[in-house]
Amino acid sequence: MSIPRLPVVRCWRQLSSSGLPKLATRSLSTTPSLSVKYGWSTQSKHFRPTRFNQVTAGLPAPTTGPAAALKRKAQSTPIRAGVLAIKKGMTAFMGRTGARIPCTVLQLDRVQTLLNKTRKDHGYWAVQVGLGARDPSNITAPMLGYYEAKGVAPKEILAEFRVRDEKGLLPIGVELKPDWFYIGQRVDVRSNSRGQGFAGGMKRHGFAGQEASHGNSKNHRTIGSAGPSQGSGSRVLPGKKMPGRMGNERVTVQNLPILMIDNDLGIVVVKGAVAGPKGAIVKIQDAVKKPPPPQEFVDKTLKTLEERFPDADARLQAARGKHLELKAARREKRLNEILTGNWEPTEEQAKMVEQALAMDEANEEQQVRA
Amino acid sequence: MNVAAPLARRPLGCLKTSFRQARQQQKMFSSTSRRRMATAVETTPSSSSTPSSSSILPPLKFQKIVDRRTRTLRTAFAVYPSTTPGLAPPPPNPMPALDEAQIKRMDPTGARTALFAKTRDAARVGDVLMVTHRRGGEPFAGVCLSIRRQGIDTAILLRNHLGKVGVEMWFKIYNKNVAGIEIVKRRKKRARRARLTYMRKPKHDMGSVEDLVFAWKKARKVYATGKGGAAKAGGKKAKGGPAAAAKKK
Repeated sequence: MSIPRLPVVRCWRQLSSSGLPKLATRSLSTTPSLSVKYGWSTQSKHFRPTRFNQVTAGLPAPTTGPAAALKRKAQSTPIRAGVLAIKKGMTAFMGRTGARIPCTVLQLDRVQTLLNKTRKDHGYWAVQVGLGARDPSNITAPMLGYYEAKGVAPKEILAEFRVRDEKGLLPIGVELKPDWFYIGQRVDVRSNSRGQGFAGGMKRHGFAGQEASHGNSKNHRTIGSAGPSQGSGSRVLPGKKMPGRMGNERVTVQNLPILMIDNDLGIVVVKGAVAGPKGAIVKIQDAVKKPPPPQEFVDKTLKTLEERFPDADARLQAARGKHLELKAARREKRLNEILTGNWEPTEEQAKMVEQALAMDEANEEQQVRA
Repeated sequence: MNVAAPLARRPLGCLKTSFRQARQQQKMFSSTSRRRMATAVETTPSSSSTPSSSSILPPLKFQKIVDRRTRTLRTAFAVYPSTTPGLAPPPPNPMPALDEAQIKRMDPTGARTALFAKTRDAARVGDVLMVTHRRGGEPFAGVCLSIRRQGIDTAILLRNHLGKVGVEMWFKIYNKNVAGIEIVKRRKKRARRARLTYMRKPKHDMGSVEDLVFAWKKARKVYATGKGGAAKAGGKKAKGGPAAAAKKK
C-alpha cells in the first residue's frame, strides 16, 4: 500500500495563513446570543423559568413601586400610632432648678381607634383615630353607618397615623389616653397654622420692599420685578413668590419634648410652641428623627390598653353583627319595626349575618397566617 | 356554550385553588364548635339578637333621617352614646387646674400667692419691693410698676435707678430662682392705675430707692436684735406680713 502524498507545504500554509485564526474567531461568537431587546436575567443561559415575574426569576427586587416605597419609608415611619388633641393654650413650666420653660397644653378628648389599615387591603399600614364627639344629626348617612359598624359614637374628627408595620396596629374602639406617651419623650406635633388672609410679598415671603424716599412713588411694599424681560422668555417662571393667601397650612414642629402628662385632665404638655390658634386640632406622634420609644414602654402601653378594654374585639364583633342586622332591615324597608322594638330576625336573616361574620373571621385568620 | 372549555384552558393551578377554597368553605360551615346565631335562636327562641351583643354593647339610640320633601322616614342608624362610664370627656378647660397644681408644687406654703393676692396686706403696685435672687449676688429693689397675674406665670415689674440710669426688671414670682420678695415700703395712698407706666416720666420718676432700702434694713436689724422693741410701724408691717413667709423659702 502506498500512502497518498499530501500537499504538505500548501496545506500548512493555508492553515497558518488563514485557517487557524478563522477557526478561533468562529468559536467566540461576536453577536450576543441573548439580545437586551428581549429582557435580561442574571441567571445562567440554561436556566428555564417555569413562571414569569416570580421571586425565583432571578430578577433583582424592584426599586420603584409600592413595596419599594414602603421599604424606603420604613425608617421614617413611626412604629406606633399617634393621637389627636386640641390645643388649649400656652403656659409656663417651672423647673425645680429655676428654669422656666414655655409650653403648650394639648388636650385629648375621647381619642378612640376606629380602623386598622393594612398593606393587603389599603396598600400601607395605618391606624385611624377619632377625637371628641359630634351631634349625630350633623353626620351624613354613610358615616353614620360607618360608626354603627364600629360600635363607636360619631367623632368630631377622624385622622389616620401611618405606622411601620402590622405591629403598630391597635385594637378597635379603645381609648388612647395621655399615658400613651411618657415624660421626656420626643414627639412631632402637626397642626394648621393661623390663617393670615391675603398677604403681600413682604409679610408672606420676607421681601425687602422699596425705600421710603429718594423719589420713590407709591411703591413701598410692592414685590418689584417678577423676572427678566425679553431674552429670558418674557414670562414669569412657575413658582414665583407673590402675594397671596398666607397661613392655614399644615406645620409640623419636630422633636418637642413632653413635659407633663395627666390622664385626669387628659392633657399632654409639650415644650415650646405649636402652630395654630387655641382650639386647633393637632396630631401628636412619636418623633421621626429620634429613636422610637423603648420596647418595654411600647409593650406596657399595649398591655394597659388590653387591661382597660378587655372586650374590645368582642365588642367590635357584636357591633358588626348588629350593623349587618340593621343593614338588612334597612334594605328590606323594615325600619319601623326596628324603631318600635318589636322586631325579631328570622332564622334565615340570622343565618346570613352569621355567615358574613364567619367569612370575616376566616379572612382575618388568613391574614394572620399570611 | 361549553362550560368546561374556559376551565380546561386555564392552568391546573387554578383548579387546585378553587378546590382548596371549596374545601375551606366546607370546613368553615360544617364546624360545630363555632358559635352560631341560628343555634342560639333555637335554644332561646325568645331572645331576638345574640345574647352577648346586647350585654357588651352600650345602649343605643336611633338617628332617624327624614326625607325633607315627603316628610317620611328615609332611614335610621344606630348611634352609640359618646359618653359611657369608661369613656368620659375631660374637663373643658384644663388650664386652671394645671396652674393650681403647678403653683402648689412651686409654692407649698402659699406665701408667694398670698403676697400678690388681691387682699389688704398684700403687695400692690407702687410699693417698693426687694427681690432676692438665688443666682445674682445682690438683691434687686425697686418700685413695683405692674403685677401681671397669669397663674404660674405671674410676674412683677420693678424699677430702680442704678448709677443714675433707670433699670427695670421682671421677676416671675413662682420661679425657684426668686428666693424671697419683701415689702420695703408701702405706698401711702392706693395707686389709681393698674400699671404705673407714668412713673417712667421724669416728673413722676421715683429715682433710686437705695435710701429706702437702707432705712428698712436698719430698722429690721434693730428689730431683729431686740434693741428697739417699739420699732416703726412700717418695719413691723413689712416683717410680719406675708413677705416674711416668702423670705423663708
